[in-house]
Amino acid sequence: MDKYTKYTTEDFLADDSFIQWLIDPTEEQDNYWNAFLQQHPEKKHAIDEAKIVFGMFQHERERLSLDETYDIWNNILKTLHNPATSRWLNILKYAAILLVVFLAGGISYYLYESREQTHFDLASVPVTTSSEAKIILSDGSEISLEKKESEISYNSSGNQLIVNNDTIRQNQVTGREVMNKVIIPYGKKSMIQLSDGTLVWLNAGSQLIYPSTFQRKKREVVLIGEAYFDVAKNPSKPFIVRTADMHVKVLGTRFDVSAYPEDPVVETILEEGSVALEVVSKKFAHSGEEVILKPNQKISLNKEDGVANIKTVDVSMYTSWKDGILKTDREDLVRVIKKVERYYNIQIEMKDPLAGGYLISGKLDLKGSPEEVLNIIKLTVPIDWTKKSNGDFVIVRK
Amino acid sequence: MIEHSKGNDHELWTKFLHGNDQVLSLIYLRYVNALYDYGSKITPDHSLVKDCIQDVFCTIIRNRQSLSPTDNIQLYLFKALKRQLVREIQKSLKYREIDPDNSGRFEISFLQSFDHTEFELSDEQKKALISAIESLTARQKEAIYLRFTRGMDYKEIAVILNLNYQSARALIHRAISKLREILAGKTNYFSQILLCIFRKTGKGVLQQ
Repeated sequence: MDKYTKYTTEDFLADDSFIQWLIDPTEEQDNYWNAFLQQHPEKKHAIDEAKIVFGMFQHERERLSLDETYDIWNNILKTLHNPATSRWLNILKYAAILLVVFLAGGISYYLYESREQTHFDLASVPVTTSSEAKIILSDGSEISLEKKESEISYNSSGNQLIVNNDTIRQNQVTGREVMNKVIIPYGKKSMIQLSDGTLVWLNAGSQLIYPSTFQRKKREVVLIGEAYFDVAKNPSKPFIVRTADMHVKVLGTRFDVSAYPEDPVVETILEEGSVALEVVSKKFAHSGEEVILKPNQKISLNKEDGVANIKTVDVSMYTSWKDGILKTDREDLVRVIKKVERYYNIQIEMKDPLAGGYLISGKLDLKGSPEEVLNIIKLTVPIDWTKKSNGDFVIVRK
Repeated sequence: MIEHSKGNDHELWTKFLHGNDQVLSLIYLRYVNALYDYGSKITPDHSLVKDCIQDVFCTIIRNRQSLSPTDNIQLYLFKALKRQLVREIQKSLKYREIDPDNSGRFEISFLQSFDHTEFELSDEQKKALISAIESLTARQKEAIYLRFTRGMDYKEIAVILNLNYQSARALIHRAISKLREILAGKTNYFSQILLCIFRKTGKGVLQQ
């Protein structure tokens, strides 16, 4: 610490660990510099001045949308199609690899990297087809979740987690967040208690990336798919859910976020408290704006036309999935079927596209078999269903 | 570089050189946004930046056999992107000479970036901030961008700017001294502006 007592503004800005503190402050560094300032109040002026000079160069970063990121990569593959230069290259293999990487962790990493706030080690993200439910710890080791409904809970220091009654220890690096990831394939779901006490119900076909303990000024997680959050109150550490198209920021509240990459609509539904949403994807009309949601409001972002829509809803419609119940209110059959597919991890083919437009209202109990669910739907709208030899279902209009 | 772990870079790059195809898409995803941001500071032509990023990766794949090991992928990519951008800009300005080592075209488009954000600055505050930054040379701006925005160390900045270590240090030192001169006497005014910026970017470093 002694060397800093003689530092000028220029010296501080020439010091790598000082710059690192400004770029990406951890609590440990905050404590160090606060302690330094307490011992050497005469340095406050130089440090403040250094912060101001540094701050002049902090501005909104240019970033590519997911579409653009993927387009450039596709072009890289196309250019390489030239046989003169790509004798060793198997284009299809490359395409498949990127697709898998995107599905398995690329998007999540991308979301973090774009803000440059991560220490998530990409090499530790194994390429996976996500057919198996599992937790990936920061050292790359995997814990498989065999049950249909798994429960995961972290202790407050983050070095111990309990998975379906099994206790697992993981090493903590002091002062740094270590990222863990839960992957839940279609047909399964999971409840996770994070180290701060926040409860997360992860729906089928979803992934959540989170630190085992929250060391930073903000509690940040990345979501692909759908989850219901019951966030532990901590006014000094906002909780942020990042998805490809929007960020949801709260202090302590209950809400649902649905952001499946394959769905045309991204939604956030607020049950209690208040949340601020930042629309990050440039394709939406509200891009860059902050939107405040009130309880019982739902915001939908339509990925196709870029339109955002806020309305008051019955929240239980959107959160009942965590209790194994699917509630619908004048919802298209095609969207209901999509949810049933995810829930049971089955394929349901709609023979007649027109049937997809039937509106369904009511409550579907998803605790039984998919056959039972389809029979209940059959009572509501004029459809029939059959099962193919490969186990897939087919819906036809009556 | 301060922020990314280099040890991991070496491993990724070696895997790629030895024919592991998966890691290239990982490298791409890790650096594409940093490259895009840097490129956008060199030229406002976003589609040119995207094309050049594409070319950089195509070149890497084509020359995989002859590439040397590196433990600093970001530095390698930044240098390659800059070379490519300067070459393309030169091509488009056939009749004008541009010295590739004198990146006279480097402009940090601060005005533009303020328009895109929600910084609640008055026009007067914006003007003061921009004129302070505009008092720097293009090379100083680039060096400071690499240092304060990308967190590079002097060695890395020297490589990108084709300078020796001492000159890179001196370049940044002079730039900072110049900014301090402008700040002198106006510290309160600027800290007001910057408090606003830090609040927006979520960095609490100006909390008193």
